[in-house]
Amino acid sequence: MASVASRRTLIGGMTVIGLVVLWFGLTTFTGLVTGARFPSPAEFWLSLKQINGRGYAGSTLASHAFHSLKLVLMGFTVAVLTGVPLGLWMGWNRRVEAFINPVFLIIRPIPPLAWIPLAILWLGLGDAAKILVIWFSAFVPSVINAFTGVRNIDKPILEAARMLGTPRLRMVREVILPASLPMIFTGLRLSLQASWTTLVAAELVGALVGVGFVLNMAQQDIYPGMILVGMVTVGILGWVTTLLLARVERRALAWNVAARD
Amino acid sequence: MGSISFRNVDKVFGHGTGGVKALDDINLDIADKEFVAIVGPSGCGKTTCLRMVAGFEAASAGSVLVNGRPVTAPGPDRAVVFQQFALFPWKTVRENIELGLRNKNLPVGERNDLVASALKLMNLETHVDAFPHQLSGGMQQRVAIARAYVLDPEVLLMDEPFGALDAQTRVVMQEELVRLARHNPRTVLFITHAVEEAVYLADRVAIMTRRPGRIKEVLDIKAVRERENWDSHARIEDVMDLESFVHLRTHIWKSLREEKGFKDV
Ligand SMILES: Nc1ncnc2c1ncn2[C@@H]1O[C@H](COP(=O)(O)OP(=O)(O)O)[C@@H](O)[C@H]1O
Ligand SMILES: [Mg+2]
Repeated sequence: MASVASRRTLIGGMTVIGLVVLWFGLTTFTGLVTGARFPSPAEFWLSLKQINGRGYAGSTLASHAFHSLKLVLMGFTVAVLTGVPLGLWMGWNRRVEAFINPVFLIIRPIPPLAWIPLAILWLGLGDAAKILVIWFSAFVPSVINAFTGVRNIDKPILEAARMLGTPRLRMVREVILPASLPMIFTGLRLSLQASWTTLVAAELVGALVGVGFVLNMAQQDIYPGMILVGMVTVGILGWVTTLLLARVERRALAWNVAARD
Repeated sequence: MGSISFRNVDKVFGHGTGGVKALDDINLDIADKEFVAIVGPSGCGKTTCLRMVAGFEAASAGSVLVNGRPVTAPGPDRAVVFQQFALFPWKTVRENIELGLRNKNLPVGERNDLVASALKLMNLETHVDAFPHQLSGGMQQRVAIARAYVLDPEVLLMDEPFGALDAQTRVVMQEELVRLARHNPRTVLFITHAVEEAVYLADRVAIMTRRPGRIKEVLDIKAVRERENWDSHARIEDVMDLESFVHLRTHIWKSLREEKGFKDV
C-alpha cells in the first residue's frame, strides 16, 4: 500500500516538473509561445509580485481571494443547510417528493449560470447576488444526492430499526441520516465544485472585488500574466476547499468500508 | 407469553391478473416457547410467513395472530434476525445492541447490565467498540442475535440466519443457538434451507409445498429428541449420526424432493 502510494506521488511530482519544464521551454527558452498569448514564468512572477504589493483591480491578491472564499463558503453552506434536509425529506416522504419534483423538472434544465443576470438585476453587483446564484447551483446536487441516499438505504436496515421500536426523530438522526451520509457527501463535493464555478462566473460578469473580478480586469487590460495569477489562485482555492471537505468526509464516514482508501 | 397462529392465511403480491399467489391457506399454531422451523423449496413463501409475523407484510386473507391478537406493525416484542444481519454499519457493536433498549427508555444502569450480559452470552466482549465491517460474518451474526435477544422478546423470528455463514461457523452458531434456546427459551420461528439444521434445532418442523406455498406436513421432532435423548450428545455431529436423526432428516428430504427438482436438493 505505502509503496504504491509513494510511487503515485513520485509520478505525480514528475508530471508537475515536466509541465513546468515544458512551460519554460515553450515561452522563455524557445519563444514558440509569445507573451501576448501565454505568460512566461518570469511574467507570471512579476504579475504575482504586483498584485501582492501594489495590488490589482482595487486590492491585493489575499483580499480578492479571501473575499471569493468567503462568498463560496457562505453560498455553499446555505445551499447545503437547505438542500440536504429537503433531499432527505423528499426521500423519506413520497408526498413531499410528488409536490417538489415538478419544480425541479422545470428548473433543472436551466444552467445555474443563466441565473446570474437575473440575480444581478435583483440584488446588484454586491455579495448578495453571488450568494444567491451559488445557492441556486449548489442546492441541486445537495438535494438530489441526499434524496438518492435515502431511497437507496438498504431495506432490511430500515426494517431492523422499525423492529427495534425506533421512534421517529431517532430514526431520522440515527438511521436515515447516517445511512444516507455517503451519498450526501457525494452531493457536497459536487455542490462545492458548482459553488466555485458559479462564483467565478458571477464575478466575471459583474463584481467589484474577487478573483473572478481580477480575471475580468486582466482580460480587459490584455494582461496574460495576471490572468494566469487569477486562474492559479482559483485552482488552489478549489483544491484546498475540496481537500478540507474530503477530510471531514473521512472522519464522518470512518465506519464505512467503501469510504476507506 | 408468545404464541403465533396462522389462520387460513393467503398472500398475493401485486393486483389482478399480474398478481402472484405466494401463500395459500396457511394454518399453523406455534405454542409459547416452542421452536418451530419452516423448510421448503426456495420461493415457496417462507420469508413471507416470517415477515407477516414481524409486521412488515399484511395477509391478503386470513389472519396472523401473536398471543391471539392480529399483528398490525413491527415491534420489539417480535425480534427479527435477518439473513444479511442488517446491522447498522455506523454503530459499534455496543451501539447496535443498545438501540432497542434505548428505544424502550430503560434507565442507563439497567441498560448497561443487559448489554453486558448479551455481550457475554454471545462471546462478543472483546469486540464491544468494533464497527460491523471490522467483524467476520459469524461475529456480525452474533451481534444481530444479541441485538434481538437483549430485547427479551416474546417471539424470535430468524430468516435463514446462518445462510450467509461458512460451514464451520454455521455449526458453531447452531450449537450456540441450541445453548441459548435451552438457557432462555423463547418462541422461535426459524426459517432455513438446511434440513439438518431444522431437525437439530427445532421442536417441530413444518414442510411447505412449492409456490403457492401451503403447509404440507408438520413433524414432531421434540418427541423423538426426548425419547432418544439427543441432548446427552454435546456435539452436533454426534446427534446427526443417530439413527433417529437420520430417519427424520431423510423423511424431510424425500418430502422436499417431491416439491423441487432433484437439482435443488
Ligand atoms: N415484495 C414482493 N413483491 C412481489 N413478489 C414477492 C415479494 N416478496 C416475495 N415475493 C414472491 O413471493 C414468493 C415467495 O417469496 P419468499 O417468501 O421470499 O420465498 P422463500 O423465502 O421461501 O424463498 C416468491 O415467488 C417471491 O418472488
Ligand atoms: Mg427467503
